[in-house]
Amino acid sequence: MNFASATFYLASRSLRETLRQPGIEVSNLFIPIFFFFVTVGALGGIAAGAFDVDNYRGFALPVAVLQGAAGAAGSGGLGMVTDIERGYFDKLMLSPAPRLSLVMGRLVADGVRVTILTVVISTVALIFGAGMETGPGGFLALVVMSGAFGFTYSGIGMAIALKTGSPQAAQVGFLVFFPLLFLSPAFAPKEVFEPWLEFMATINPVTYIIEAQRSLVLDGWEWDKLGYSAAAIAGFGAFTLTLTMLALRTRTA
Amino acid sequence: MSSAIVTQQLVKHYTPEIKAVDGIDLDVERGSIFGFLGANGSGKTTTIRMLTTLLRPTSGSGQVDGLDIIEDAAEVRKTIGVALQEASLDDIQTGRELLTLQSRLYGVPAGRIKERVAQLLRMVDLTDAADRWVKTYSGGMKRRLDLAAALVHEPKIVFLDEPTTGLDPISREAIWREVESLNKSDGVTFFLTTQYMEEADRLADRVAIIDAGRIVAEGSPTELKAEIGTDVITVRIPGGAENVERAKQALKRLDGAADIREVADSVVVYIRDGSTVIPRVVTLLNEASVAMDEVTLKRPTLDDVFLRATGHHLEAEEAQVTAEGGAS
Repeated sequence: MNFASATFYLASRSLRETLRQPGIEVSNLFIPIFFFFVTVGALGGIAAGAFDVDNYRGFALPVAVLQGAAGAAGSGGLGMVTDIERGYFDKLMLSPAPRLSLVMGRLVADGVRVTILTVVISTVALIFGAGMETGPGGFLALVVMSGAFGFTYSGIGMAIALKTGSPQAAQVGFLVFFPLLFLSPAFAPKEVFEPWLEFMATINPVTYIIEAQRSLVLDGWEWDKLGYSAAAIAGFGAFTLTLTMLALRTRTA
Repeated sequence: MSSAIVTQQLVKHYTPEIKAVDGIDLDVERGSIFGFLGANGSGKTTTIRMLTTLLRPTSGSGQVDGLDIIEDAAEVRKTIGVALQEASLDDIQTGRELLTLQSRLYGVPAGRIKERVAQLLRMVDLTDAADRWVKTYSGGMKRRLDLAAALVHEPKIVFLDEPTTGLDPISREAIWREVESLNKSDGVTFFLTTQYMEEADRLADRVAIIDAGRIVAEGSPTELKAEIGTDVITVRIPGGAENVERAKQALKRLDGAADIREVADSVVVYIRDGSTVIPRVVTLLNEASVAMDEVTLKRPTLDDVFLRATGHHLEAEEAQVTAEGGAS
């Protein structure tokens, strides 16, 4: 069994699991859409005067999308914990499938789930006037970027799940997103931040993803921002995948 | 006949104090059924997890089908079939989906998977339930599906970790029949851990008893029982430990007893020609004014072998575990 085939079969199984428990995705969808409307309702009227943002709906779209991504990817860790608790993960570990594929199957599935959620959330935001300066190509780029972020972000929950086998601990996978979100220019541009917050935002990879997605929605193709975002996702992914591999190794120690 | 499984001084210490497996040597013949008998926490599952590459040994070595369990772990996994304790399945797949995925992961050729899955479902009598979610299966059905999942790639060596714990007698019998049939018709080697004497007695060609991480007895069930060499008289004493101790002291006056032990609320006497000794047992206890609830005489069972080797009953622990609501 080669790595690619095993990853494909395990990702398919993970997506089938999602289809059979759609309730989890409802909250992953509802919360970001709810926040989108609330923040637009609260700040949309003053955004132009306060920080020079005319289209706050478009400004808020990437935040909603990444919030959905983090929710969906965070619950991927719970799926892994369930497998561990049931002993099914041991059964997979006993198979000749490459062990990395056991984790990669779930990460890929999470990437796909996030991609689908992004399409839905973005479509809702577009219907309510968020706009998309770069057109269908930009929409596609935004969706791919979110899917890639979901794939890498899922590594946090996966690492915690593998290390602890605890559902409570795996929930932390989602909670980690809150500091990442609030220490980024999620609700206002970085330029209006106090210096300490601006510094935190500068070293936060989510900042670069939000800014790149925002540029696609509001400004047009800004290749430097897209490049920073790709680098941020790659760096973040290297970090979370390393954590995941280290956690996987401890399961056989 | 060559060996299917061999270990040399296999050790697993979780901490310096927790010595789950403390230096065991095993040699399991190809084509045999090997019973690994022990109480909860004795080291059975840790041993099976090391042999199946789920756990790295602290020291020592082991070979399965001639492959090293550490150096050749990936090859070992292709060779063996494993059903772990308490059917480890995915509740929201159907039985057919689970076996299909298992077949794919084990590299069963794509053109053969459908047929192989159908054949396995027939074998474990789950064809009618094949398209139901696993969570709707009974405990016995889950164990049978787990056994089928261990067999997708037609392994010649299969590890079963307590395959019938918690099952009703009918489900247990169904698993036993499958194991016997695969062993006899296909020559599959089985390494099975169990805490049931009856299971080891019924299935195993050879048995090893593990206690506190060490093997304390090994042989065929017949050999092990014959080693005791005596009948077993068990006298159940009412009124607590003090009375049991008084009974033991009184019975020490019996001529020819090979061993006399206190076990829970009973005194156990190992002695030849037990049927002729019982009247003397009753007389000695009457003389000592010790009451009796019950006197039984039997040929040695594996439980007696276990008791002699470990100093405690396995069956009593089973009852306690069941009463507490599950095994570890």
